[in-house]
Amino acid sequence: MAYLDINNVVKRYDGHTALDGVSMHVEQGCIYGLLGPNGAGKSTLIRIINRILAADEGSVTLNGKTMTDSDITHIGYLPEERGLYKKMKVGDHIVYLGRLKGMTKADAVASMHWWLDRFDLKQWENKKIEALSKGMQQKVQFIGTVIHRPPLLIFDEPFSGFDPVNAEQLKVEILALRDQGSTILFSTHNMASVEEVCQHITLLNHARVVLTGSVSDVKQSYKKNIIAVQTLDAIEPNQDLFSILPQDPVKKQDTLIKLNAGIQVRDAISWLNDHYRLTGFTEVLPSMNEIFIETVKSQNTIQNNE
Amino acid sequence: MNKLRLIIAREYLSIVGRKSFIFMTLGMPLLFILIAAVPAVLAYFNDKGSDTQHIAVIDDSKRYAAALHSDDMYDFVVLQGDSTANPREFYDKAGGSIDAIVVIPRDVDSTGVVNIYSEGTITPALASTVRSAIADTIESAHLAAMGIPNLQSMVQQAHVDVDVRSVKWSEQGEQESSTEAAMGLGFMLSLITYMFVLMYGAMIMNSVIEEKTNRIVEVVVSSCRPFQLMLGKIIGVGLVGLTQMAIWILLLGIVGTVAGTALGLNQVASASPEAIAQAQDLGAMQTIMQHVLSINYVPIILNFILYFIGGYLLYSSLFAGLGSAVDQPSDSSQFTTPVILIMLIAFYAAFACMDNPSGPMAVWCSIIPFTSPVVMMVRLPFGVPAWQLVLSLVLLFGTALAITWLAARIYRRGILHYGQKASFKDLFKWLK
Repeated sequence: MAYLDINNVVKRYDGHTALDGVSMHVEQGCIYGLLGPNGAGKSTLIRIINRILAADEGSVTLNGKTMTDSDITHIGYLPEERGLYKKMKVGDHIVYLGRLKGMTKADAVASMHWWLDRFDLKQWENKKIEALSKGMQQKVQFIGTVIHRPPLLIFDEPFSGFDPVNAEQLKVEILALRDQGSTILFSTHNMASVEEVCQHITLLNHARVVLTGSVSDVKQSYKKNIIAVQTLDAIEPNQDLFSILPQDPVKKQDTLIKLNAGIQVRDAISWLNDHYRLTGFTEVLPSMNEIFIETVKSQNTIQNNE
Repeated sequence: MNKLRLIIAREYLSIVGRKSFIFMTLGMPLLFILIAAVPAVLAYFNDKGSDTQHIAVIDDSKRYAAALHSDDMYDFVVLQGDSTANPREFYDKAGGSIDAIVVIPRDVDSTGVVNIYSEGTITPALASTVRSAIADTIESAHLAAMGIPNLQSMVQQAHVDVDVRSVKWSEQGEQESSTEAAMGLGFMLSLITYMFVLMYGAMIMNSVIEEKTNRIVEVVVSSCRPFQLMLGKIIGVGLVGLTQMAIWILLLGIVGTVAGTALGLNQVASASPEAIAQAQDLGAMQTIMQHVLSINYVPIILNFILYFIGGYLLYSSLFAGLGSAVDQPSDSSQFTTPVILIMLIAFYAAFACMDNPSGPMAVWCSIIPFTSPVVMMVRLPFGVPAWQLVLSLVLLFGTALAITWLAARIYRRGILHYGQKASFKDLFKWLK
């Protein structure tokens, strides 16, 4: 049993189905990517986990127990569309959010100070939120999400609106929270960040799970047997073993070869080593971005053909 | 419960801390004082500032010029033996040394017409001074012409002012009451309820829309139930309203005391005729005050509080529910117009019911929940049968709770609804 289990969740709105039997199992202490194009049902699923919406069918269990309203104190949620009370003071705002999550006033104040210090916002504690720059407001928002040290964190597009420096700082904080034992559910379009931080992913499309597994397994299963080879001589195609693909415009020194079906990497490499002056080779795995686009596109063609 | 308290506190402090709230709370009484004081101040400067007007009088009747007495404002100069003079010629000859010419014709007794000529403005004050002076004199002349001795004093004796005192039989025995005092009190309570519900209903709606537009609402409802947030807002804003009212009552008390002391000192200082007239006015005031005080306040205040809470809950949850359906304050009018219309109808009904507080319209409007908080206020000081009160209150609170429940269902969906403008049809869908 995983830390967060989502079993066959169905959610219908008048006229359309937003989630159609979605299941997902998030292990404790991992960063789990929830991917999918716009309108796939990610936000609906996140809102069901947060108990903002109720599922029509299926169950959500946390730590083996069916979730109740009191469990929301164990969750920290950063929605995609951020918002703060512009007229409130930074410190008051963070403490308010912490206390809404069930912290005592003293705990919330202590935690607020610790986080403001960590993000270099200490001198802004008594300033109104509207006086802060957008980047600082995003940090305040993040602090408001983690102030109560929740064991489950849900980030919806956490990096949107951050400049590269702050995005890096945020990534470091998220990884640190994971190392301290928090489980993190990460919803995003940003595939580069998925490859960097996520261990597992689930890809939703048209209200259903179309792909799920660990990032490395998914990449392995999507590999197309392409090897980037570096030699000192020009390679000729070999009909028995491989064909040659058009040159990668970025890495011009590499030759991309695609292995024929059933050919092992080491057979091709040893043949190449015998016939050319081989200096190096790497297996080319598809990026999460390519997998995402490929899966969603093929899904949509199937749907359209039906 | 703890979360509800937090939400109430945040809502309350966020409004009370605003500059606009402080400005409004202190500014409103000042504005009222200004509105009340401006005409008096203007009149004062008008009287002081203007010079004495010189008025020439041509008296063809040869009898009534004496009725016009000169004072600070008007200096009447009777032109002797100039009965044939053309007023225009005389005015021009005077070359601006006179402001107007009053011409009393020979046949004024029968026609009752007096002319005033001027190139400048003839003030209503001058016209009325002339009118009353001449009319009084002609009237006494007429009476005298009848040849009955002491007729004048007989007429004066015959004149009476009738004071109607209403006495109500109640359990406490005979009670003298005043319909005017009851009407005034009823109207005041009705107005307070109407203004309060509209003002703070709009405030709640803005607060809901604001949370929705700046997207904080999703964070908040991931920590509490939407119903808690809505209820917290309604209670928080309601407390703001009560605070504002308390401050106003306090200010009223202070101003009243200060003004009362100042007046009292004035009276001691000068026993001028005006002061005596004022004292007489005060005597009349005292009778009115006695009537006002004779009203049995305890049940009225208790009922006022009950209706106030019920009405506020009813309308504020309506406003909260409707506010959740829009993204911007400017889009809200399509939903608020019907609500404001119902409020207006209630207010007009209250106005119409003042003449007949026990008539069928008053009774029905004070039982129907949407109009009862405003209309019942008008009826309360006159006494309302117990069964009507109970029925009306049960209906009001039943409806208010039902509306709160329905509004919460709309609110739950509305706060997460962005983009396409919601219609009434959508609202009904959300209720399901």
